[in-house]
Amino acid sequence: MSREPVVLPNAKVKVGTQKKSRLSMRHVAPWFFLIPSLLILGTFLIIPILEAFQWSLLDYKIIAGTGEFVGLSNFKEIFTDANFWLALLNTFIFLIIVLPLNVFLPMILAVLVNQKIRGVSTFRILYYLPVVTPMVVAALMWKMLYSQSGIISGILVKLGLFDSPTNLLIQSSTALFAVSMITVWKGLGYYMIIYLAGLQSIPKDVYESASIDGASVFQQFRNITIPMLAPSVTLVSVMTIIAGMKVFEEIALTTGGGPSGATTTLVMYIYKKFMNLDVSIASAAGIVLLVLAIGASLLQMKLTSSREDDLRA
Amino acid sequence: MKSKQFNQRMWLYTLMIFITIITVGPFLITLFMSLKAANEGIYSSILPASPTLENFVTAFDKANFGMYFLNTLVVTVIAIPLNLLFCSLAAYPLARMDFRGRSVVLAVIISTMMVPFQLYMAPLFQLAGSLGLQNTHIGLVVMQVSTAFGIFLMRQAFLRIPKELEESAYLDGANKFKVWYLVALPLVKPTLVTLAIFTFMGTWGDYLWPLLNSTESSMYTLSIGLAQLSQNFDGSNLKLISAASILTTIPTLLIFIWLQKYFISGATDGAVKG
Repeated sequence: MSREPVVLPNAKVKVGTQKKSRLSMRHVAPWFFLIPSLLILGTFLIIPILEAFQWSLLDYKIIAGTGEFVGLSNFKEIFTDANFWLALLNTFIFLIIVLPLNVFLPMILAVLVNQKIRGVSTFRILYYLPVVTPMVVAALMWKMLYSQSGIISGILVKLGLFDSPTNLLIQSSTALFAVSMITVWKGLGYYMIIYLAGLQSIPKDVYESASIDGASVFQQFRNITIPMLAPSVTLVSVMTIIAGMKVFEEIALTTGGGPSGATTTLVMYIYKKFMNLDVSIASAAGIVLLVLAIGASLLQMKLTSSREDDLRA
Repeated sequence: MKSKQFNQRMWLYTLMIFITIITVGPFLITLFMSLKAANEGIYSSILPASPTLENFVTAFDKANFGMYFLNTLVVTVIAIPLNLLFCSLAAYPLARMDFRGRSVVLAVIISTMMVPFQLYMAPLFQLAGSLGLQNTHIGLVVMQVSTAFGIFLMRQAFLRIPKELEESAYLDGANKFKVWYLVALPLVKPTLVTLAIFTFMGTWGDYLWPLLNSTESSMYTLSIGLAQLSQNFDGSNLKLISAASILTTIPTLLIFIWLQKYFISGATDGAVKG
């Protein structure tokens, strides 16, 4: 046999066919690698998920640990519960508030920290700080800022938006807006980085030829930057939707879903049902949340794959 | 021409400093609040008149934050190495070996990433109770010791490394485990750091699961201790809440400053997570 370079696929077949023990090793080895994770995920993730599906069809009592089959009546119950529809509506309004802010503010930040000027890397770090703040801390800091004698209420009175100091979190007309600002604040730096990656993939000569043609900075932003960032906009939007549907700490720790349900999102609804030990209702509402989450993920896959097609074309 | 450029720069800096006030301001206000003495008004001024650490001492002495800190540290120190080990083990055959059932395992793992925690928290709560994991460190950490996201992230990393290095190791007679450990793993070190960061951030700040699983205050993590402390949000308690908030945030800030580069590259890696 020659000692010339071995063609790899052939070498692989040889190893597989030479000895029988090797052949069976080939089938068993992958499972040795997989077993720890499969055991952990199977026990603490897959089984609970399957149980949640089961519980949604039962009248499950978590303390007794039993429940009778009730068909779809849990779903009937949530679909006729005005609070459930309010929670869906609140989730939707929350997304409507957060989405445009998440798309545009971090884009501006990214353009700023992409400038070739002194100190720009320090600003990048300072803008990223909220991202690394534990969510509980972020929620409590903002709760403090929002308090009636706090700084935000003071600014709003100075701007003439309110006559007297007001806590935005305890007014049902402003509470959802107030909590959504916490989410926006926390995500600014993260989405900035996503946009920054997009910006840095734009070829520099595009800008150079534009400025030779006399395009102003603003015109360059509008006619080059924004169109070239379209893929990043898609990514940020879908990530915002997926994360926004699961918003929890910002609300649980500031308003607890109040005042009178004004900030009860779908996740808060599920949480409250669970705390009342209505676990079957919670499971049914959880499945609605899952369906929405899957919808958003499929949308993401569709958008990213059609984008790849565009790039290939 | 020069002055126009200078003007433009002034505008840029003004805008960037304004944004800094928004992103960093809340930290500074909280920090100043935590340094205020007991007899000082909460909202009288932003800066503390005579800065003191007494609120931090109270957080440790009377509010048990030393214990909460230790609990959080224990959970994080268990979670990071185990998650790195189990995820990089599981990801390797999913990236590199041909075996029956591979696509099913991969599909199941990836689809669990879409499932919101709130769907299965109640069954998980019951399971943890029946396994005797309630109010234990192990119970707190079960969701973090192997994660679908971690497996996904590591698999992507293994797929990116060139096959030739592993193939030549096989020709030298190395077995699969050795190739994984000696050839593949060193090549995905940056991704391991990224996953360590994700695990740290996820565990350190986790709220909902510890809230359900830790009913005894001896098992509270910092997040839960802080949330409990904030049940009393009266003015008298705000300085202590601020001190506890700063304590909770300092480790994440230190890790961020230490590993900034990986945070930034990890942000775009995590973007595919969904």
